[in-house]
Amino acid sequence: MSKDTNDLVGRLALQLRPVRRLPSPRLRAATWLALSASYLALFVLAHRLSGAPLAQSIDTRFVVEELATLATAGLAAFAAFCCVVPGYSRRIALLPLPALFLWVASLGANCIADWPRLGVAAGQLTPEPACIPVAMLAGVLPAVAMVMMLRRGAPLYPRATVALGALAVAALTNAALPLFHLGDVSIMVLVWDLGLIALLSALAGWAGPRILNWRRIVVA
Amino acid sequence: MNQTIDTDRRLSQLMRAAQGGNGVAYVALLREAAPLVRQAVRRRRSFLQPQDIEDLVQNTLLALHSVRATYDPARPFLPWLMAIARNQIAEGARRHARRHAHEVTVECLPETSDPAAVNVEGGGAADLLIKSIRMLPPGQRHAIEMLKLREMSLREASAVSGTSIAALKVAVHRGLKTLRELLRASA
Repeated sequence: MSKDTNDLVGRLALQLRPVRRLPSPRLRAATWLALSASYLALFVLAHRLSGAPLAQSIDTRFVVEELATLATAGLAAFAAFCCVVPGYSRRIALLPLPALFLWVASLGANCIADWPRLGVAAGQLTPEPACIPVAMLAGVLPAVAMVMMLRRGAPLYPRATVALGALAVAALTNAALPLFHLGDVSIMVLVWDLGLIALLSALAGWAGPRILNWRRIVVA
Repeated sequence: MNQTIDTDRRLSQLMRAAQGGNGVAYVALLREAAPLVRQAVRRRRSFLQPQDIEDLVQNTLLALHSVRATYDPARPFLPWLMAIARNQIAEGARRHARRHAHEVTVECLPETSDPAAVNVEGGGAADLLIKSIRMLPPGQRHAIEMLKLREMSLREASAVSGTSIAALKVAVHRGLKTLRELLRASA
């Protein structure tokens, strides 16, 4: 071992402090989901307390769509937390893809089903003006919690990790949105929501190295 | 195969102790991990000079230190270590590419049009520069020497000197300013 490396080992050992071990990615994903779901539940509660009915009728189509969205959120969060632990395969980043595919497929199927019922209105692409601020507000805490939790890990693949985190946040917010926000027709959800999610994930991926980076170490 | 399993088990135990704050175990762990990392770097970057290989080994140890909380003793240690090493090797390549993107290789340096007017005789400029660097306050001089003369990265300089990266940036900025004033005064 070179003298410099030997010195470095000595210095690192001198400033060693006990650390709290990071819980497993599964537990961290569950913690994030529980925290974010509690926050989103407040929106639903406020909506119900205002005397408004449930914004969405609960039917099989809705349940399938919701389950697919929640599965996307959970798997994306789990994959993101795996990506910040050295030793997991990079292929774990592909984990949410089947659920995402199911979500897109269920939205597509709902679009087709909406067409005969709503006619031209099913093809409307303009969202309600109040929709975007509400969705953004609903996503704040899950996004902040996600970034804080990811930053405790190792920034091995910052772009993929942050993009997965953004996908988890967006999917979870989308799962809650129909419960406290007047339902949009499916084509709008398909174009706007998925479009925004793709854009957000891409932007988050681009900003990944700025959000997640190797912490500066000062060796005494 | 059995030897690898034994090594993994031993390193895992040392890491578990190091996470609890055991400095002796940590030194033993880093001393045993460093050759493994060096071997991995050599295998992947056989064309590197020994000093560059050592830089990557040190960066890997620094990275290991900063993310030691991510190690789960229930999982094998060596894949965890090698994932960090691979990442640091890739980071090193990216740093190298960034540095070289701003450099232009020329075979012949262009000659000045009027050597008598422009060139300083007999290496006087170099001497003057060395003298001026020696006149800098110690903090600024060390920062200039490490970052400008030895071309160390901020992280490397920080690790070697024990000074924070922010302080190094300030020191090198002030050092260059002082140096400029000293050179102007002696011209």
